[in-house]
Amino acid sequence: MSQPLQGVRIVDLTMVWAGPMGTRLLGDYGAEVIKVESPRQWDLLRALGLIPRDVPRWYNRSAYFNHNNRNKYAVSLDLAHPLGRETVLQLCAVSDVLVENYRSDVMDNLGLDYETVRSVNPRIIYVSMPGHGKTGPEKDYVAYGSNVEQLAGLVSISGYEDGEPMKTGFSYGDPMAATALVGAVALALRKRRLTGEGCYVELAQRENLTMFVGEHIVGYSLTGELPRPMGNRHPHHAPHNVYRCAGEDRWVAIACETDDQFRALCAVIRRHDLAGDPRFATAAARKANERDLDPEIEAWTLQRGHHEAMHLLQRAGVPAGAVLTTPELVADPHLRATGAWVEHTHPDAGTWEMEAPPWVLPRTPGHIRLHAPGFAEHNDWVFRDLLGLDDARIAALYAAGVAADTPDESLHR
Amino acid sequence: MSRPLEGLRVIEFGTFVSAPYCGKLFAGHGAEVIKVEPPGGDIARAHGPFPRGEPDPEASALFLYLNTGKKSVVLDPREPADRDRLLRLIATADVLVENYRPADLAALGLDYATLAERNPRLVMVSITPFGQQGPYANYLGNNLIAFAMGGQMYITGTFEGGPLKNGGYQADYQGGLNAFSAAMLAVLAAERDGLGQHVDISIQRCMAPILEASIPYYCYLGQWSGIRRGNHMASFIGIYPCADGHIGIHLMPRNWKPFLEVIGRPDLGEDPRFATQADRVAHNDELMAELYAWAATETKHDLYRRAGAGRAPIAFVHTMADLVESPQLNARGFLQHIDHPVAGEAVYPGPPWWMGPGDWDAGRAPLLGEHDAEVLGRLPA
Repeated sequence: MSQPLQGVRIVDLTMVWAGPMGTRLLGDYGAEVIKVESPRQWDLLRALGLIPRDVPRWYNRSAYFNHNNRNKYAVSLDLAHPLGRETVLQLCAVSDVLVENYRSDVMDNLGLDYETVRSVNPRIIYVSMPGHGKTGPEKDYVAYGSNVEQLAGLVSISGYEDGEPMKTGFSYGDPMAATALVGAVALALRKRRLTGEGCYVELAQRENLTMFVGEHIVGYSLTGELPRPMGNRHPHHAPHNVYRCAGEDRWVAIACETDDQFRALCAVIRRHDLAGDPRFATAAARKANERDLDPEIEAWTLQRGHHEAMHLLQRAGVPAGAVLTTPELVADPHLRATGAWVEHTHPDAGTWEMEAPPWVLPRTPGHIRLHAPGFAEHNDWVFRDLLGLDDARIAALYAAGVAADTPDESLHR
Repeated sequence: MSRPLEGLRVIEFGTFVSAPYCGKLFAGHGAEVIKVEPPGGDIARAHGPFPRGEPDPEASALFLYLNTGKKSVVLDPREPADRDRLLRLIATADVLVENYRPADLAALGLDYATLAERNPRLVMVSITPFGQQGPYANYLGNNLIAFAMGGQMYITGTFEGGPLKNGGYQADYQGGLNAFSAAMLAVLAAERDGLGQHVDISIQRCMAPILEASIPYYCYLGQWSGIRRGNHMASFIGIYPCADGHIGIHLMPRNWKPFLEVIGRPDLGEDPRFATQADRVAHNDELMAELYAWAATETKHDLYRRAGAGRAPIAFVHTMADLVESPQLNARGFLQHIDHPVAGEAVYPGPPWWMGPGDWDAGRAPLLGEHDAEVLGRLPA
């Protein structure tokens, strides 16, 4: 069966993480994604690969880039040059979707605003993914990865119990914008089928992530009370925390939601006395006395490995999970058994494992059809086969430096 | 014009956060979303915050937010008559969103094979901590367990403080958003082919690959340095207390100069210890001390405005009050006042993205069983 996005061509003007990961997901499920990079302003992720600069084509070997750009073609075009702008508009004319994640004024300054692109293709779906949005008093403010969750209100409710606000250990807003991009594009494709016309989609990364704290905004507006960081605790349930296990920095999370689960926990750790203790008899009592409960549980977990503790508890019906490190995620028997990691081969980078498409759609499964493109790898295919440019025109693009087969390496030395 | 999902019927047989967030996105974009609640209602109704702190199943902020624009019917699938109604309802649907443990759903006779027999066009979307198959498929999970097993927890917090989940129900929201995007792909395919499928969303599998460069570096180079770094990836990427809150900076090499201009410390630009990004890494603690001292003198709104004008990537940690009062969010109409017959008026964020005028209408959350008569009264046989 053909994939959900088969036949959908995407002009990808995104760089770094949120945009490229999003268009890669679209590619995973069948879209034909054409990544456009300027020879002078190419994707920073190619430089964040920890690859020594004296390795040939080092910019094609970055795993960070290659994970987020598989299932794409690549063409080089300098959009700041009139010839580059003209060529990318020709590409838009034969495409279904354009995605960009520049700062909010960049596409307008390049003369590639929505109205211009629509004038060459009224069916195009044009998606912008700016940090703050394309309108409003803060639209031109600069916001990178970790700023997004600060602006979204998430950091203010994160942190150890009554501690200072705490950032997430990675730039959380980026992959959430990437994930949202797929839903937004799919919605716009359905809308186009209904109306016959394309549309402009604006995905402001801070707004997308603000949706993830929505209950706290509603709650604050109803009560006037500011929520505080509560660590790993839950407003109603206990025990609900991480507990130290045997080994260096190893932990298990335990989160009981019912009396039955708590009794099962007591049985596993052979502490029937706790199950009968009035301090822990009901959910409300356990919540009130959770600080007394934690050391009793940790006395048991300290004697167990984190996987062992999880399995013993889960088999008895207690929600428990080992706190996994990255190497443990890659080795995780469950993720491996379900095909979450797949071996992959790239002509410049070699063979290693990467994540499979994340969602299982059994009738129309995601696939890795293409390795991440080398810089400008598909110039010839795009210029000649897709756009029908003749030799003289292609030569003119190269002569003007608008297209190139290798990037300006001095940019990310 | 009508909203993009007009004409689509979605049954939400799910509780708490993940399936309801997915259903909320369907409803806001125009699908008819029928939420099937057990007697007593979705457990989110028992979760606050509540107005005046008084528990009321019709006034839970968590429920109100996650269930905007839906219809509510009450059915007890353990009762044969209700189970029959539920099956007849699902037979009329384009999409079913659920988040039960696979074994529990199968025990109710609501597995995909049974449902697809009556309705081959059905897109069934299952959101679970570990997915439908594999050794942990029927392990119990929730937001905290997903944080542990999805790898995001180990790298959040400080080394001394131990692994930390971030605020609210982020793992569940991740599941809900992933499910919506995947479901929309399956809807496109079903409308094209006339055939549905069972979409399997494992929250663990969605969370594990998105730890920035961690998985690529480890898988490709065998390198891993995923220690918890608290509020600082480096001195120039992190959060600092200021006079009236906290600010966050995220400086790429090209931001160094504009940043120093905004903070009025051009002298640091002359300091050889901080000349290049590599120098700043080498003298991380010294730079951090400078930045702690500087940040303490700043107030968040004033600094944020100056940083915006000076194109320096500085934000501040927005509290819920800052969000509700945000000039940016208010200018864009992102904060909507929605009334509710029991809870009253409140501020709701949305939509997550903008497609065109009228393409999003959140609506209000339903009362428990508010649409029993309308929906169940005219079920086809």
